Amino acid sequence: MTREKGTQKARRPSRIKTPEAIFLGQLATQQSSKYRVAQGFAVLFAVSLVLQAWALANVFSDMALHQSFSISLLVVGLLALLIRALANFGRERICTSASRDIRYGLRRQLVSHLTELGPARTRIEEDAALSTRVYEQVDALDDFFSRYKPQVFMVTLIPCVILLSVVSISWIAFFVFMLTAPLVIIFMIFVGHKAAQANRRQFNVLAMLSNQFMDLNQGLAELKRLNRTTEARGRLSDSATAYQKTTMGVLVLAFLSTATLELFASLSIAMIALYLGLGLLEILPWQVGSAPVTLTQAMFLLLLAPEFYLPLRQLGNDYHAKQKAEAAATDLLEILDARAHATAAEEREPVAQSNLASMVDQLTSIRFHNLSWCEDGRYRFSPISAVIHQGQRIWLSGESGVGKSSLLHLLLGFEEDYQGQLLVNGKPFHEVSLAAWRAKLAWLPQTPEWVNGSIRRNLLLGIETPSEETLQAALVESQCDAFIRQLPAGLDTKLTELGAGLSGGQMQRLSIARALLSKANIWLLDEPCSGLDKETAQAVLATLKRVSKGKTLLIVSHDTHPILWADKHWVLNKGGLHEQPIQAIA
Amino acid sequence: MSNLSKLSLKRLILANPWGILIPVITGIAATLAGVALLGISGWFISAAGLATAMGVGIVFNYLTPGAIVRGMSILRTAGRYGEQVTAHNHLLGLLRTLRLWVWDQRVAKDAANLHEQSRGDLLQRLVSDLDQIIRWPLVVFLPWIYALSAYLAVSVFAYFITPVLLWPIAIAAVLQILLVPYVCDRFASHAVHVGQILGVHRRSRFVSLFSALITLTIRGHWKEYAQRLGELDERQRRMEIRIQQAVSTGRLLSYGVTILLIASSFYLLCIYTPETQRWTLLDGVQGTWVVGYVLSLLAVNELVLPLVQSFVAQGQSQVGLRRLNQLHQDAQAQPEGKIERIQQMVFKHWRGFHPSSGMGNNAIDFRVDEGESIWLRGASGSGKSTLLAAIAGDCLSSGEAIINNEKCDLYSNQTYQIHISYLPQSPHIFQQSIAANLYLGNPNASDEQLWDVLNAVGLADWAKNLPNGLETLLSSQGRNLSGGQRKRLALARLLLRQTPVLLLDEPFDGLDKATIERICHSLENHYKPDILILVSHVGSRLGDNARVIEL
Repeated sequence: MTREKGTQKARRPSRIKTPEAIFLGQLATQQSSKYRVAQGFAVLFAVSLVLQAWALANVFSDMALHQSFSISLLVVGLLALLIRALANFGRERICTSASRDIRYGLRRQLVSHLTELGPARTRIEEDAALSTRVYEQVDALDDFFSRYKPQVFMVTLIPCVILLSVVSISWIAFFVFMLTAPLVIIFMIFVGHKAAQANRRQFNVLAMLSNQFMDLNQGLAELKRLNRTTEARGRLSDSATAYQKTTMGVLVLAFLSTATLELFASLSIAMIALYLGLGLLEILPWQVGSAPVTLTQAMFLLLLAPEFYLPLRQLGNDYHAKQKAEAAATDLLEILDARAHATAAEEREPVAQSNLASMVDQLTSIRFHNLSWCEDGRYRFSPISAVIHQGQRIWLSGESGVGKSSLLHLLLGFEEDYQGQLLVNGKPFHEVSLAAWRAKLAWLPQTPEWVNGSIRRNLLLGIETPSEETLQAALVESQCDAFIRQLPAGLDTKLTELGAGLSGGQMQRLSIARALLSKANIWLLDEPCSGLDKETAQAVLATLKRVSKGKTLLIVSHDTHPILWADKHWVLNKGGLHEQPIQAIA
Repeated sequence: MSNLSKLSLKRLILANPWGILIPVITGIAATLAGVALLGISGWFISAAGLATAMGVGIVFNYLTPGAIVRGMSILRTAGRYGEQVTAHNHLLGLLRTLRLWVWDQRVAKDAANLHEQSRGDLLQRLVSDLDQIIRWPLVVFLPWIYALSAYLAVSVFAYFITPVLLWPIAIAAVLQILLVPYVCDRFASHAVHVGQILGVHRRSRFVSLFSALITLTIRGHWKEYAQRLGELDERQRRMEIRIQQAVSTGRLLSYGVTILLIASSFYLLCIYTPETQRWTLLDGVQGTWVVGYVLSLLAVNELVLPLVQSFVAQGQSQVGLRRLNQLHQDAQAQPEGKIERIQQMVFKHWRGFHPSSGMGNNAIDFRVDEGESIWLRGASGSGKSTLLAAIAGDCLSSGEAIINNEKCDLYSNQTYQIHISYLPQSPHIFQQSIAANLYLGNPNASDEQLWDVLNAVGLADWAKNLPNGLETLLSSQGRNLSGGQRKRLALARLLLRQTPVLLLDEPFDGLDKATIERICHSLENHYKPDILILVSHVGSRLGDNARVIEL
């Protein structure tokens, strides 16, 4: 019953459950057994709390009245204190372990989901920003699962236990607790909302400030050339000072509301203390001459009073953990809600193996029959019908946004939600073994894909190490040998995101070398020349022409970089696919 | 704090000594009030009970202690409030100081190293390191001071009960304030440091792997690579467990010390009477006072518990500081001497190169005189851009440069760079208005001058059609501009500087013929520089009228 109350209280601030709250709730239920153990510890904690108060109250009153006390009571009191510490220790261990299990599990799930999304992930955000979500944002859930969530239970349990143990001793104290507790809670929700609003505003300003700092720093070289670094420093300093002023304005109010709450709680304690003091002196206006409580009972009440409000105040402090977690959950849900189409890929592997494995050994044709891809009622590309035969080299052009890249992603096997038919050697695509199909593919995107590591490692990414002659032959063919020889470390030069001083054309040539080494016979190229100047692009295309003889090629390229040597020129537009003759401009 | 010295935690405190003093004082007041609140109310209740039992309840002065209790609770709340406000004010001031420190270090860096540092993820880390470090006084320094002062206050109280109590208090204080946090630190500081480093490592591996996701997936090796990512995560998890264990155990130890302190206090204050199985207080020790004393010990316990986890913040701040200090740069001596108007530039065996790969152009000799234009040409990869950057003093170089008959070191030489305007391949556009971006070229430019120069690069019509005109805010790195617009805006900014030397790297990329013509016209008339060096693969009138140097 208390558990139900706990969840109700958690729900109250938001009233209607948001998707974020549901998401966080589902994550928490994964670890419900651990949270149940934590609740067990919480009960132990509450019981030892009352026991400790009772034992110490007896010791104290005996000591005050008789200057002596029972040793066993003292031992009980100190033992209760120890049990309390142990219960807290256990609760903390269990809750942090639950939080860890939730977070690390979620992170694995996110990474594998992003993998399945493949190229579609960039529709959510670029990789660096995604890494922030996968690491920082997931860790931002920690406080929620390790502190806030268990604290919600404590907030119900401890006041209830204290009320129960107080009711038989003093009705007045019971009513003071009963009346002030809802007030504290209402006030806390109010304060929490205010603080959360202030927090969000402040967070936005801080983000803007960080942004400005980043922007000026990224352009620092430019500012130095323009000789304007002093002005920029002044700007940084001014905006930081302005930020300090506005934030302090917000914080002064935010802290004021927490302080009022604290004051409210401590005045309630003082009220109880005053009542007990006057009662003990037998001068309460309505019962002069008789004491409503004994000294022991008064001590007991006094020891319990702060404990009654403590969990509430702690929950108020941890309230921002909930805010933080919900903000993070929004970002994480965006990733998890993005539909992954290749989820079935692994499950269908066994089916595919039994299927004609020889079929993909030798590609004869790829056929599109009324193939289209409709997402959320909008065509990613319109229905197309066409066929690519083995050894054909096809130039695909069209305005941006008509779905050229989407078609490539589909062939890469990352999207399965297409309509119409996609046939490989006359068999439906989804019956073909994805792994075997993909092994036939080479992928050359606009920005070549590199991992941190040497050129050699990147060339051999995911393939079996070939002989040194094969490697050299591929480098010669793709015309990489000359510039690699010039590098001080040759093939062992490290490639970073910056490309280690290699030009765009050189990087693209390395991609070609990699495609050659992979022995793939179907090459998919997505605007391989768009980042290059005309001369370089011509040179790269000339190399491509030479090395891709006999391969099946689908190359997406703008009209600015025509593929004059292609066998066919397809133009994709809103109406579908049209074949055009290749004009020999040369 | 002087801006070109290394950072340390001590300097964080001393950066603004008065700023930190106020939160320290208010915080101590609040702490003492909190401890006194429990102590006095315990004494008050027990004394009231005792007074009634002895029949002197009517004459017992209950007003003064009652008022003190209420006063203390108000003082505690008000003090806590004051401490929070002033400490945060100090924290924000620190943020400003640190940002400016970072800025100064980076300004003092030479061009090549600066480029290295300007990568997005590095800067991102820098920003989060700063946010981490400024919290240090709030989560490490101040709690430590409060715990110390609380112990001092309790010692004074204990002294008045009986001086012998000072012994257990001193031992407990050393244990809780120094020893337990130290032991936790020994046990887990390595994990904190490793965790911080792993975080960076994990992130860069994530980005590295995902940038090659498709290739890895179609090669069927994604799982192996992803597994390594998982291993890093697993290591991070082990670090987290270790830290958490240290914190929890430390807190338990601290609790244990408090329990032992209470037990030993009782032992010192009482004598045991075996017949009754009761402990009796020593003569001269007031029971009511002891009640207050024990209650205030419980209050101190609440204050020392947070100290245990302060080592986590301590470790994180240290890692952050170490990383920041890597930026540290001693002030560079700028070459002496002033350069008058540049009339002649002679280069001998001149070669520009990148420090990481050593790639650049083949050494060449050439000379440019006032009034001349030069078109640098060469195949892709021949090092045209590198050569131009070296002439601009933006890139490392070898050989000799002679400006106006005097040998001159061009690299990162500001006296020289005042006289040149260099348009790199991808110039930076700031997240400010169009006007503010242009004012960087000349802060005193009139509106007329701004429109003139925009017209000269063919952006005036575009700017006129914007709803906010020159006040239009440009998004991050000018992302709402096309590549050509970005470059032209940067060119306009340079033209406002009116320097004698203009160095342009591919200014016509992605522009139509009419716009190229317009820019050429401007550069040959109103905005004609004394010396123009052009790198371009696009032919233009500017190039046709220039002397060609083939690389």
